[in-house]
Amino acid sequence: MDGDGLFRTDSVTKVYPNGIRANDGISLHVAPGEVYGLLGPNGAGKTTLVKQVIGLLKPTSGRITLGAHDLVADPAAARQLCSYLPQAQVPIDSFRAREAIVLCGRVRGGGRASVERRADELIEALDLGEWRNKRGLGLSGGVKRLVGFAMVTVCPGRLVILDEPTNDVDPLRRRLLWEQVRQVGDQGAVVLLVTHNVLEAEKAVDRLAVIDNGRVIAEGTPSAMKARDRGRLRLQLMIAPGRDAPALPPFALRSTLVGRNMMTVIAEGDAAVGIKWAEQVIAAGAAEEYALSATSLEDAYLELTGHNSGVDWGLRGIGG
Amino acid sequence: MVAWDLADFRLYLPVLGAVLILQGAGFALGMGLLFSKMPEAAAVFLVTGAPVMNLITAGLIFEPQVVAEQRIRGSYEFLQSLPVPRSAAALAWYTVALGTALPAVALTLVTGEARYHLNLTVTPMVVPAMLLTCLTGVLLGLAIAHGITVPMAAMLASTTLIFVMFGFSPVAFPAAQLPGWLAAVNQWLPFGSMATIVRAALANGVASGVPRAYLVVAAWAAGSALVVAWAQGHRR
Repeated sequence: MDGDGLFRTDSVTKVYPNGIRANDGISLHVAPGEVYGLLGPNGAGKTTLVKQVIGLLKPTSGRITLGAHDLVADPAAARQLCSYLPQAQVPIDSFRAREAIVLCGRVRGGGRASVERRADELIEALDLGEWRNKRGLGLSGGVKRLVGFAMVTVCPGRLVILDEPTNDVDPLRRRLLWEQVRQVGDQGAVVLLVTHNVLEAEKAVDRLAVIDNGRVIAEGTPSAMKARDRGRLRLQLMIAPGRDAPALPPFALRSTLVGRNMMTVIAEGDAAVGIKWAEQVIAAGAAEEYALSATSLEDAYLELTGHNSGVDWGLRGIGG
Repeated sequence: MVAWDLADFRLYLPVLGAVLILQGAGFALGMGLLFSKMPEAAAVFLVTGAPVMNLITAGLIFEPQVVAEQRIRGSYEFLQSLPVPRSAAALAWYTVALGTALPAVALTLVTGEARYHLNLTVTPMVVPAMLLTCLTGVLLGLAIAHGITVPMAAMLASTTLIFVMFGFSPVAFPAAQLPGWLAAVNQWLPFGSMATIVRAALANGVASGVPRAYLVVAAWAAGSALVVAWAQGHRR
């Protein structure tokens, strides 16, 4: 392996011709074997960063390297070294599922026998057997997504970039997919996981960066990110349809409303008074149910960005 | 990449092949309906021009539409991220386009020759002439597909060129039939010259200025290749 195999971005800045600063001095480093999450709301600059890594866009300034390779100076090397699963579906309408996986492995330079063996392993591991010889045109979005993942990882580059890999995938196969993501890392690749799904990222990544407005606003392990909420709990209230959110109680540290879901962070010592307050709100008909749980990465993310993690949900921040 | 393209387009290539047959043989036979007895000179132009339309259309129409659809669906970037040299991808598509066009070319020639009782004299120069014509059509298509990033604009541009080829270029009729200024413009456009080099290899004494026509077509191929290389190598 040349160099240290590290994936690095050094002060990467991208300003589009229309003046929009999509990335603003992004510096990251990810070691081989790490699964690294890039989290951030829509328009944060994640996709722009990824397109610069794989050589489709050129940074206005800054460096992107993988080991000894300068990916900005040598986009052909970037294509060779990086495997990329885009957020959009892969174009496999005419392909049979296994054929698409094998052909992609062959295009990536894998030998026929090893690619076919690995394709069969992935089909088995992702529970895709029943669609093995079905054409892409007839596959559901979730199955297409899994086939796309297999295409990208059947003969992975040293940097594997997965943009929302679990979109449309059912919960059972999501687990299988995450196991495979971990295996790709264990085999020595750098895995860059781009996602909005904070809850899944919390379980899947070793470290992560939160990007907002083109900048890294936080970086660390999921546990370190959650450390700010140590000694705190999440009190979640489902607001009744047609009712306004209740006024915040004085013990609430911060609160966010996502659709009808009101998430309030409280101190552990306020658990009893929090439950009492929630029961009063429900008794008054303003809410349907409540849940008290440990805080998650999502709470830290919401505090950092002031955004919700759902792609299509409406959001009104009401505190914090 | 040829295997990839064949698998990717397997649902559409038979349709494209059928369309090309309809275009070539249909055009050659259909135009004959305008005459109670087609003059031989006209028949030769028609029958040697229709296959040129096949060769051009295969490259010029399909790729811009496919790439436009990839851009709309968001899969363009996935394909561009594959570790395939751009030249290898272009060569693969050229192979597929040529393989799709040649059956239509053969059928068009056989049908036209039989219908108008012609005796075409095919020379070995038909090989470079048809290879270069198809290559230029493919490169023009790739230049439009990758050079024009707005999908609808790319599709309109390729469709417009097809209409220019049909109606305003001396492909299936002599340049002398055009207004002087349009004939002069066509001296520098590729379609008439493509027809000249193919026709010279299919029939004796009906094509003139063949060396110049080769130069014009080659220049368009080279220019289109430069545009393709720029469009695919250029990073915003």
